[in-house]
Amino acid sequence: MEDIENIEEDEYGFSRNYFLAKELGGASKRSAHKLSDIHIVDEQELRETASTIEMKHSKEISELMSDYKTMYSKWVFELRCGFGLLMYGFGSKKALVEDFASASLTDYSVVVINGYLPSVNLKQVLLALAELLSELLKCKRKSSGSLSKGQETFPSRSMDDILSFLHGPQSGDKDCFICVVVHNIDGPALRDPESQQTLARLSSCSHIRLVASIDHVNAPLLWDKKMVHKQFNWLWHHVPTFAPYNVEGVFFPLVLAQGSTAQTAKTAAIVLQSLTPNGQNVFKILAEYQLSHPDEDGMPTDDLYSASRERFFVSSQVTLNSHLTEFKDHELVKTKRNSDGQECLNIPLTSDAIRQLLLDLNQ
Amino acid sequence: MAPSGTVADPPQCSTTDSFNSSDTAENDIRPFFVLHKASSGNHNGKLTGIVKSKRRIESPSPKIAKRSEVESVEEEDGQFFSTLRFKVFETVWSKIEKTIEDVLRNSNSKVFSGIHDWIRESFESIISSGALKLSEAVRSYPVLTQASSKQLLTAMVLTRNLEMVDDLLTFEELELHLKSQGCHVAKLSSMDFSAKSGVGGCLRGLLRQFVMPTVDVADVTILASWYRENKNHENPVVIIVDDTERCCGPVLSDLILILSEWAIKVPIFLIMGVSTAHDAPRKILSVNALQRLCATRFTLSSPAERMDAVLKAVFLKPCSGFTVSHKVALFMRSYFLCQDGTLTSFVRTLKIACLQHFSLEPLSIMLEHFCHDGVNQLSGEGTELLTEATMKHAFDLPSVTRNKITRSTFEMLPHFLLDLQRMPNPWSIVVLCLYEAGKFDKLRLLDIFCEILDPEARYLKYFSPSEIVNSQSHNSGRNNVIRRVLRKLRDLSPSQLSSMLKSWENLTAEFTEINDKVIELHPFMRAVEAAGQRQGLPNSPKKHASRSNSKLEKELKAMTDKVATVIEFMLREYMKPVESVPFHEILCFKNVDKLQSALLGDPRGRIQLDLLESHDILHCVCCSQRGTTLLPSMHDTSILYKLAQEHADVINLHDWYQSFKTILIPRSSKAKQKSKSSSKSKKRKEICEEPEAPAEALIQARFCRAVMELQITGLIRMPSKRRPDFVQRVAFGS
Repeated sequence: MEDIENIEEDEYGFSRNYFLAKELGGASKRSAHKLSDIHIVDEQELRETASTIEMKHSKEISELMSDYKTMYSKWVFELRCGFGLLMYGFGSKKALVEDFASASLTDYSVVVINGYLPSVNLKQVLLALAELLSELLKCKRKSSGSLSKGQETFPSRSMDDILSFLHGPQSGDKDCFICVVVHNIDGPALRDPESQQTLARLSSCSHIRLVASIDHVNAPLLWDKKMVHKQFNWLWHHVPTFAPYNVEGVFFPLVLAQGSTAQTAKTAAIVLQSLTPNGQNVFKILAEYQLSHPDEDGMPTDDLYSASRERFFVSSQVTLNSHLTEFKDHELVKTKRNSDGQECLNIPLTSDAIRQLLLDLNQ
Repeated sequence: MAPSGTVADPPQCSTTDSFNSSDTAENDIRPFFVLHKASSGNHNGKLTGIVKSKRRIESPSPKIAKRSEVESVEEEDGQFFSTLRFKVFETVWSKIEKTIEDVLRNSNSKVFSGIHDWIRESFESIISSGALKLSEAVRSYPVLTQASSKQLLTAMVLTRNLEMVDDLLTFEELELHLKSQGCHVAKLSSMDFSAKSGVGGCLRGLLRQFVMPTVDVADVTILASWYRENKNHENPVVIIVDDTERCCGPVLSDLILILSEWAIKVPIFLIMGVSTAHDAPRKILSVNALQRLCATRFTLSSPAERMDAVLKAVFLKPCSGFTVSHKVALFMRSYFLCQDGTLTSFVRTLKIACLQHFSLEPLSIMLEHFCHDGVNQLSGEGTELLTEATMKHAFDLPSVTRNKITRSTFEMLPHFLLDLQRMPNPWSIVVLCLYEAGKFDKLRLLDIFCEILDPEARYLKYFSPSEIVNSQSHNSGRNNVIRRVLRKLRDLSPSQLSSMLKSWENLTAEFTEINDKVIELHPFMRAVEAAGQRQGLPNSPKKHASRSNSKLEKELKAMTDKVATVIEFMLREYMKPVESVPFHEILCFKNVDKLQSALLGDPRGRIQLDLLESHDILHCVCCSQRGTTLLPSMHDTSILYKLAQEHADVINLHDWYQSFKTILIPRSSKAKQKSKSSSKSKKRKEICEEPEAPAEALIQARFCRAVMELQITGLIRMPSKRRPDFVQRVAFGS
């Protein structure tokens, strides 16, 4: 009964917070400040500086890590008892989990999957696991003196076959398993239902134990009850490390590095420099027009054609269109209809950025 | 296990070292890699052999882990969990697991044999209707035109449980059961019925299970010819689909249509697990397919019934000796009722509790002796197990010190242990007796079990006259199971009373003290029956008895009074909750917090709390001084997330950045900072004691890093094209 009340209270608090936040948004007008009001440093410099950020509380963090070290033996015990370990809490757990694996799981083979990478091929992982296991079993058979069966090669087999091989009967002692460490099992490459199904089936194999970490607050939504209770069989461990997400964050964009004028002008210049001189010249006409007519919606396509043809940059509408397609693909140009219904071309950059861009091109 | 914080390791542990080495840097960008291969020690299956032998030398009696030794070992090499402990856990858990499996099998056995009988009978009738020649049977023509010959015999198994998880095992058992009876069985699940692979996928799945595992074509004629081979046709073919509702409807319909075309040539029986309602197939199958089904209904027992059966077998009948405390039982009950509702999760909870017990309590290895069936094992063998260190730990247990048992009563320990081992028997008999009585009020064993474990309960107060009047006058006792039992007792009809007495007699058969009391009730029962017969209304409930039944009423009253006295006697004499017994810690798991945190991770709440209360976790001196004010020494992401709390559901990036900057630049140095802000090259360290303003680029980089970390945790959503200057908050409150 108490629990039910607690749950209700929690839910009440949650919804109250939500509505308070919503109300706050409605009542006071949203701040109109723009990101561009900040003088943002160059992305290159931002990235360089980011790599030199010093870790705060490094002493406390390493103390925290060594506190967790005392639990390693317990974790091994839990793995041996057939559970999977799921690490969560704020901070990168990559170092912690790998340290655990290299310090305490020396008796077992350990395979690490980096789930934070944008692409992970699970079939290859399964193949590697199957090969490791067959090696292990061969060694075992040799030492126990029984004859080893000829092993087929795995690459030709399907996922189901490999999984059923990994789920083979345990011979004698139950301690013959390979430990699979999955950093960020909720990572971008593993977030789709199929990968999660495969991982769930993998974790329920008799020769496999999983140690995984999650970082996203909603990660448990990836799993249904069958996966949770029958397959992953998680034991949760709250192990906040406060360590920086160095590798995990590599594929995330920097929030301040988007949309700044210098930045877009620079990327546009890079794109333009890879185009033909004629293409560049067409773009220059467009840019100059836009600078001299700042109040208009853009340059009408026909005008651009005649201007470019006059200067012998294009010979026909077809060549102009091919240039325009190139511009549009790289988001250098957008088309709009003006009040007269004419198709107009517009460069989605500020005047300053366009001036900068023209300077860069003329160098 | 709480981190003790007293670890000899210097701060520069291998975690940071390995992190920076070039080798791992390369591994960081590989999708996967082999960290290391198993050391050769494992190949002989002697995992902790070294440790074991080491212990042998240290301890004169290696059979038991000594506390002092355990502590030293824990600090030295972390090999706290010896092979022995693992072995005992295995023994105990496999015993519990087997018990549960047996219970579930028994609860299903009636339905299973019903299904098998149905298959047998229908199969024989099909065979007798006309056997086909081989050549006819493997051809897809002539097309059968009679409607009756296209009927696919189907068993709908109602699971009465919305959660499929519990029934996975049931259907596996059913498969084994039917296979053992000679049927050809294949099991398909909703995964096989995906729209992607279509009907071909499930046909392939069927052929793989029936014919051979390497078949890769979907052709039903293969099934037909296989069926005619080597006497295969002497037995029926059964296909089990365990979660019908989750299958892709059109694919399942297609399969039914195809199979029904072949129904005479290959007599196929379809078993469909249905969890919602018996008309569920109508919702997912096409009309054509529905017409081909000839359905029979079977019903499994409900999860609550199974739950009670499991509870009875694991805790109230002699099983492993392992038990749980009142708080743990309450938690398990509320988890079952409020959160999950599946027996599977209940069993999992039990396993985690058992595991935690073994990892927390060194003496838990003594459970091994409770697992054995013999009662007097401990008296002989037990004493020799008791080394000095064990004794010390045992006499330090709270339950022992509380009961003022001291070392002077050293010889008493075996006696107490024996008592522990014997103790549950009269206790569990009483619980089961109460359960029998509670059945008339539809009480669940789970509820009774939870209440009866309460070490602070005072049951006897219910027997005071004022309480009886009270309980009759108003309905407050809803939570109070035992009070409900007592009240219901007074409303029982004579026939109900007599059936209750019979079950009590059976339950107490092995325990003469209670049994005698129960037998003493017989004369009263006979008097009631006699009175009832005289009135000619032996079965009428007391309430509806007319005034002329006063004699019967009087007898009934006497009878129920007597029964209440017997219950009072049972409660008074034997209702000693396990937690009040000395040394119960050896077999009773009590740490509900550990169980909860291992079972139910709460990333949503905990990750937010990590950020909001980072200094509590880091235990740093610099940040925890001044209450709620944000300090520049705090973790960047933590500062940023705390700032985010002040915003509405969307956060203006500019404002957020500015307030972040204000925190990082202490007020005193702000004036200085303005003049210097252009000099980007100055990258200064920020130290807790003398905070100096960092350069603009560094602040921006730190802001970016913190936003990125919040994005990784999923607490914010990044700016969209439509709203380029705002991020969105995703979580509100923890």
